Amino acid sequence: MDYVILSITLLAIGFYGLLTKHSLLKILISIELIAIAASMNFVLLASSLNKNLGEVFLILAFTTDTCLTAVIFALLIIASKRYGTCDIRKLAKLEKNSKEGEDG
Amino acid sequence: MILEVVAAGLVISACLAIYLEEAIYSVVCLACTVILISLLYAVNGTVYVAVFQFAIGLGTLAVFFLSSEMLSEKLKKEKSTRNTLLIVALGMFMSFPAIFLSLPTIQTNISIDSSFVQALWNLRALDIVLQGLVMLTVALGIAIVLYERKRGES
Repeated sequence: MDYVILSITLLAIGFYGLLTKHSLLKILISIELIAIAASMNFVLLASSLNKNLGEVFLILAFTTDTCLTAVIFALLIIASKRYGTCDIRKLAKLEKNSKEGEDG
Repeated sequence: MILEVVAAGLVISACLAIYLEEAIYSVVCLACTVILISLLYAVNGTVYVAVFQFAIGLGTLAVFFLSSEMLSEKLKKEKSTRNTLLIVALGMFMSFPAIFLSLPTIQTNISIDSSFVQALWNLRALDIVLQGLVMLTVALGIAIVLYERKRGES
């Protein structure tokens, strides 16, 4: 079994979700999938070469991953509270309307 | 055999997490992905990473679950079971290259071999910097919450 191909497959699924879905929650799930694919590639290659450094790097990378998730959650909650929707198309439309209102 | 089943399950659950419209079902599929990837790590002998992935993944998923329950809008029409089964079949098909094909591996002469504990000790500076990043994010989050509250009051 080849882990590089498996991680490329997961990465492709994540990118597909990122490009096609409009809900902020779905975008967050896609980013999680991309992060899982990247970390899997890293740790399984390091494991196959018997390098413990890869495992340690990955444990440290989880920290940044969690920070990223927390920041996106904060944006999600603020957007939902202020505008009442999580759809990025509606959010973009609201932003455009408010800019036009300020100009006019 | 177990690795192949786990790989297929991983791809199928990832496909379903993206495909399903209902946010709670998507989160459940993502939970399956996290559990399967932890299992994959454990089977490959990277037990520390498996435990970390499982713990952090489940913590994140608990927040995901609550937020999906809180923020998602109810859907009017449900997707058919036939389409879901089609996605499961597609996921299984997408996992075939990973199971049956193999890429040529590059042999390197880099030798940084040390034990897990030794490697963790050598990277302690990076660990401290990343902990600082976590604290900065927490501080930023608290500042945003307080700012929003102040704005709401005024």
